[in-house]
Amino acid sequence: MFKAMLIKEIILLWRDKQALAALFIMPAVFILIMSMALKDTLSADRVLLSYAIIDQDTTEESSRLRNFLQENRVMAEQKVTIVSGAQEQELLNGTLHFVVTISKGFSRNLAGKQNLPQDLRQDGPPLLQVAVASELKAEMLTLIKAELAKAVLRLRIDRMRQELSLFLPDLAQGLQNIDFEGQGLLDIRFNAVGAMGADKRPTSTQQSVPSWIIFGMFFVIIPMSTIFINERRQNTLMRMSAMNISVPALFAGKIAPYLVINQIQVWLMIGVGIFLVPLCGGDALTLGNSLVGLCMVSFSLSLAAIGTSVLIAVLASTVEQATTIGGIINVLLGAMGGIMVPKFYMPQSMQDLATFSPMSWGLEGFLDIFLRGLGAEAVITESLALTGFGIGLLLIAGMIFSSKRTRAL
Amino acid sequence: MITIRNLVKQYGTHCALDHIDLHVEKGVILGLLGPNGAGKTTLVSILNGLTDFQEGEVEIFGLDLGKELQAIRKRCSFIPQSLALYEKLTVLENLRFFGAIQKISGNTLRDNIDSALSINQLHSLRDQKAATLSGGQKRRLNIAIGLLNNPEILYFDEPTAGIDPELRNDILETIRSFKDHGKTVIYTSHYMPEIEKICDQVAIIDHGRIIRQGPLATLLQEEKGDSAIIELLNAGETQLRQLVDQHDDVDLLNATTLLMHHHNGTKMGRLLTALETENIALKQIRYGTTNLETLFIRLTSQGKEHV
Repeated sequence: MFKAMLIKEIILLWRDKQALAALFIMPAVFILIMSMALKDTLSADRVLLSYAIIDQDTTEESSRLRNFLQENRVMAEQKVTIVSGAQEQELLNGTLHFVVTISKGFSRNLAGKQNLPQDLRQDGPPLLQVAVASELKAEMLTLIKAELAKAVLRLRIDRMRQELSLFLPDLAQGLQNIDFEGQGLLDIRFNAVGAMGADKRPTSTQQSVPSWIIFGMFFVIIPMSTIFINERRQNTLMRMSAMNISVPALFAGKIAPYLVINQIQVWLMIGVGIFLVPLCGGDALTLGNSLVGLCMVSFSLSLAAIGTSVLIAVLASTVEQATTIGGIINVLLGAMGGIMVPKFYMPQSMQDLATFSPMSWGLEGFLDIFLRGLGAEAVITESLALTGFGIGLLLIAGMIFSSKRTRAL
Repeated sequence: MITIRNLVKQYGTHCALDHIDLHVEKGVILGLLGPNGAGKTTLVSILNGLTDFQEGEVEIFGLDLGKELQAIRKRCSFIPQSLALYEKLTVLENLRFFGAIQKISGNTLRDNIDSALSINQLHSLRDQKAATLSGGQKRRLNIAIGLLNNPEILYFDEPTAGIDPELRNDILETIRSFKDHGKTVIYTSHYMPEIEKICDQVAIIDHGRIIRQGPLATLLQEEKGDSAIIELLNAGETQLRQLVDQHDDVDLLNATTLLMHHHNGTKMGRLLTALETENIALKQIRYGTTNLETLFIRLTSQGKEHV
């Protein structure tokens, strides 16, 4: 009987192009678009600041300062020649976050203002002048200041090294070996404790693939409720009842095909994440190490999606009602559960609210596997919660369906 | 084959079936006739185990319906009025699906499908999607699905609703042929000529009670002796309704025809005088030429509303 139900549902679905698009094409397209759209935002190496340099000193040391700044990966120098204040203003309104002006006399000034001629000592320009875009956040100003200070410090240490090499060559040699971008300047070690923990941020692909898999899985609401309501309207369900098909068997006959369909969705979308996204220039999805855990999450998510779908199908009177209500619920659960916007971008209150969305439970389960490399035991809670949610909704749907059927006759 | 004793079904305070007794023998085609809301669908639903009942006993094949429902269902088939099939599946896919969910498989399923296709003249359409079939062909498919389990009892609920007369006759012939294969048919319909054409027995149901049942021929014979049909030429409906209200045992059969039950000289004389007073011309009077429709009108509460 299940085989017949499965074949019937698959044929009906196969002949429903809109449902196919909602179940398979829509999430695949979302994965591609969102993986690419969030690529920079969620990348650890992404450029945070763009800047330009006006070099009024044009010495070897001003040129080296420029090179030192370029070593920083979160800041990118734009090669533009700024010839006027108006042009600078325009660039800061557009593509640049800040403009560094290396003042004339920078090289001489490096050793300290006491080395300057008398006329420059009191009223002369600072070493560097920085024009910033007005909306730049305080933490970015701190970053700029730290990077400029580091670059100037390097130049000063070089100057010191050259002077010391005449008298204390060993000490000068030691100064030459300082690794300014590593741990030589200041020995701070960032221990990756909990690197696989809950706070590890996903790449755009790791975020997008599970998110849109879940969203797509919940879209079974559309074909499932459409077929179910048509069956009810045309008395096909009644006919099946008269053919000895009980309500539990009828529901089981619905659940089995969509469990299979959901698993096909999951593996197709994982395939998109692994093979298609890299072809488009994004990061490839990494699967983690637990196939069992992945299956636990995907099956329990499927039950939750099917439970929601059957309940909506039972409650709605028409296909239009079901697709509208189903669509709204899907989008709301998605927005709340961190599908549309990653949870770590949400304020704490919204993150707390997200814990009420089954999509969030599923997403955390997938991230435990894909991102944090955890095993099946780590997703037991999420899987049980999703399974309980799905079975609970199916039981409610079963009771409502039986009650409605009795009243209809 | 079917025995119903003292059956009561209530929906809240509304009594849908009120102490029904009915017996149907094997190989009989029983026409279940009644106005809308009389209880026909409720009765058929109970017989198919689709709804429960409060009192009474139902035995089918000598088995208690309440206790042996699954065994009974395997030997029965319900063909609903609506087209209970999948439009996006082909004729063959529909038949395979409905056969498989009844756990019919292999050669049996193949043979039963073949037989259902032949009986309903659907062989040439087997690979066509149901959505592309005509209304009559869909009705045939609806019936074909009901034949897959080779049922001994078939319940038809208005199977010819909304189809043209030619196809209707074909379908009626098909249903009539089931009798030749020893099958029992319970047939509900609003079309009384259909019941007259194919049914051996009739049960007239009204307000949840069976008010007359028996062989069709016997019922018509009993009615034949004392009814008269009065056909008029220039009557207005309002005028006729007034006359019906003023005369006992007179019903409106249609816009120009009256039916008098238990006629005698006095009652007929009074009616003819009234017609003359109203200047309504008489076309003819037919004595003892009753049919199921006149019987139905006389017996049911809708008689006076029926035109």
